[in-house]
This record gives sequence, C-alpha cells and structure tokens, in this order.
Amino acid sequence: MSTDASAEAFYAHVMGGGKVEADDPMPDDYRAAILKFVEMHANSELMGVLPERDWILRAPTLRRKLALTSKIQDEVGHAQLLYRVAEDLGKPREQMFADLLAGKTKFHNVFHYPTHSWGDVGIIAWLVDAAAIVSQQALRDSSYAPYARTMKKICWEESVHIMHGRDVVLTLMNGTSRQRAMVQEALNRWWGPLMQMHGPPTNPATDRDLIWKIKTKGNEQLRQEFLSIYVPRIWELGLTVPDPGLRHDHATGRWEYTEPDWDELRSVVTGHGPASQERLGFRRTNYDQTQWVRDAILGPAAAVA
Amino acid sequence: MMHSGNVRAPDLELATHYAREFYSRRQESHRLWIVPREAITELDDPDLLKPPFDRSFKRPGGYLIKHKLEAAKARAAEES
Repeated sequence: MSTDASAEAFYAHVMGGGKVEADDPMPDDYRAAILKFVEMHANSELMGVLPERDWILRAPTLRRKLALTSKIQDEVGHAQLLYRVAEDLGKPREQMFADLLAGKTKFHNVFHYPTHSWGDVGIIAWLVDAAAIVSQQALRDSSYAPYARTMKKICWEESVHIMHGRDVVLTLMNGTSRQRAMVQEALNRWWGPLMQMHGPPTNPATDRDLIWKIKTKGNEQLRQEFLSIYVPRIWELGLTVPDPGLRHDHATGRWEYTEPDWDELRSVVTGHGPASQERLGFRRTNYDQTQWVRDAILGPAAAVA
Repeated sequence: MMHSGNVRAPDLELATHYAREFYSRRQESHRLWIVPREAITELDDPDLLKPPFDRSFKRPGGYLIKHKLEAAKARAAEES
C-alpha cells in the first residue's frame, strides 16, 4: 500500500468494522501488528503444551491420560493453524521458529512457570484455558478475517479443555483432604500469573491493536469478564482466592483486586520466568532432534522446486 | 468456507462464470474457489473418520459434572 490516502481508507474500513483478507492490500503497520499478535498466540499454543506434557505419564487414570493427550494434540494443532495464518502475512515459519528459540519473540506468561502436582493440571486446564478463551472469543470478531475464522475452531476445542479441567478439579474437591489441599495449593500458585495474563490496562485511545480491531476488547475488560464468570465458580467449591483485596463492587459492577505484579509479568515474558529457559531449551533440543523429519519430508519437494 | 455446489462446464473459465451466476448472484459470497472434480481427494474411510472407540473426552458432553458439582458445593457449605 503506497499512498497515505489508501492507508487512510484502509483504517477507516477496519475501524468501521470491515474485514481484511490475507491477499487484500494492507498498510505495513497493520500487517506488522497482526503478524506480531498472531505469532505470539501461535508461540503460546506451542509452548503451552510443555507444562502439560510432563503429566501424560503421571495421569491418574487411563481416561485422564487420553483426555490430557488429546488436549495437548489440540493445542499443537492450534499452533499449526495459527502459524499458517502468520505465514500468509509474509514471515516464513522457519523464521518464526528461529525467533522463538532465540528468545526474540514472546509467548504467554503462564507458560513460563513449572508445575508441581496433578492439581496444577486441573487448574491450568480449567482456569488458564478459561482466561484464554475469554480473549479468544473476542478475537472471533477480529478485523483480520483469517484469524477470526481460525478462532472459531480454537474456541470450540478450548471449551472442551475447560470441561476437562473443571472435571479434574471437581473430582479432587470430592476427594480426600490431601487432594483438596492440592487444588488450593495449585490455585495459590496460579492466581498471580492468571491475574497478569491479560496484561495491564491499556489506554483505548492509543492501543493500536484495539483501534484497528485486531482485538475487540481491552485487557481490563477481559480480566473483568474472567473474574465475573470464574470467581463465583471457584468460591462455590470452598476454595479461597489468594487475594485479600478481591471483591465485587456492587455499586460499580466491577471486581476490585490487588494490583497484579506487572514487573513480574514483564520479567517473565522476556524469558526470565522460573521455567522459561528450561522450556526453550527443551524446544531447541526437540527442534534439533526432529530435523531429520523435516529433511525427509521437505527434502525431495525442495529439490523438485 | 462452505461447499456451495457443483456446475457442469467444458472448461475452468466457463465453470467460473457459471459458479458466479449460481452462487454469488445475490452477493452472498465473498470468494469462490472453483476446482475440477478430478483435483479433489476424498477420504471416506469410516475407520479413520469415525473410529469405533469411546472418544467422548474430546467433546464437552463427555464430562458429566452435575453430580460432582452438587457434591462439592454441599461439602463446601458443610465446612464453612
């Protein structure tokens, strides 16, 4: 897109609710913004399976093992779908992988933490996926149509994951006092990262992702929606949310909470989380070990082309 | 994306005109993809598409939480 006039027409189009397809002309700024957004989402789906992968062999029953394996397969599938969307915007998949492994691009904060018990598996599948689906549902209205369409399938599958997670949590809550304590301890560990997950509130007047309708809801709105639905569901099980400042203000209709630790968020997503380097190290090793598969599959095709 | 239907035409150019007349005459389509029938690969093996195993854990309905939720709520009320 060459002229300012056509860029202006483009932004008027998206701000008015118009959609953009992969081969439509688009200004470089918009292309860069949507690529960064989708690439980060794809990275998160790919890195997000690592904490859960550790629990496949430790799942308590065969059915749980099948369900967990299936969830992990879904998440890797989401990464594939999203890397396809990102590739069409002009960045080769190999480059996205190289940047992820080099720590140049990011993935969601919640995937930088270690897991300690089966309780974590339940809380991750229930609440981390719930926090994610709140933002993903809003992305079904994204101005970038290929992303919005992909999100429909992803949201449907995430809703299954939430059921799986809630079922794990309910089973533990109906169990022994040790099992119940396991859930409470997991909730204590994950609450901070969950509250940071949607990011600090942004100014809607300057948040370009919001102005261009790449995303349709602001960070604070997403966090409020998450709290509205899930805090009552946590409380009804007799669990305690580890934030003494958390309360619903009936006058404003908003949830009040202790300010999340934004320094921790910034530090974690730039590769300084407790499990960041271990997870990236695993990915690097895995990438090297699977090189022969890519060579075997892409080799002849590359030679023909 | 959805399958709209098929047309009979001697070549791709005419097939494209027919497809446009049949499937976008009321502006109901954003794009049309016209593909010769022989270019379609079909998979219809039920062993692959509908394997005879219990895969209910892949669907929301595969988790019956009603009674578990009631039990957990009752226990929470008891202990508070």
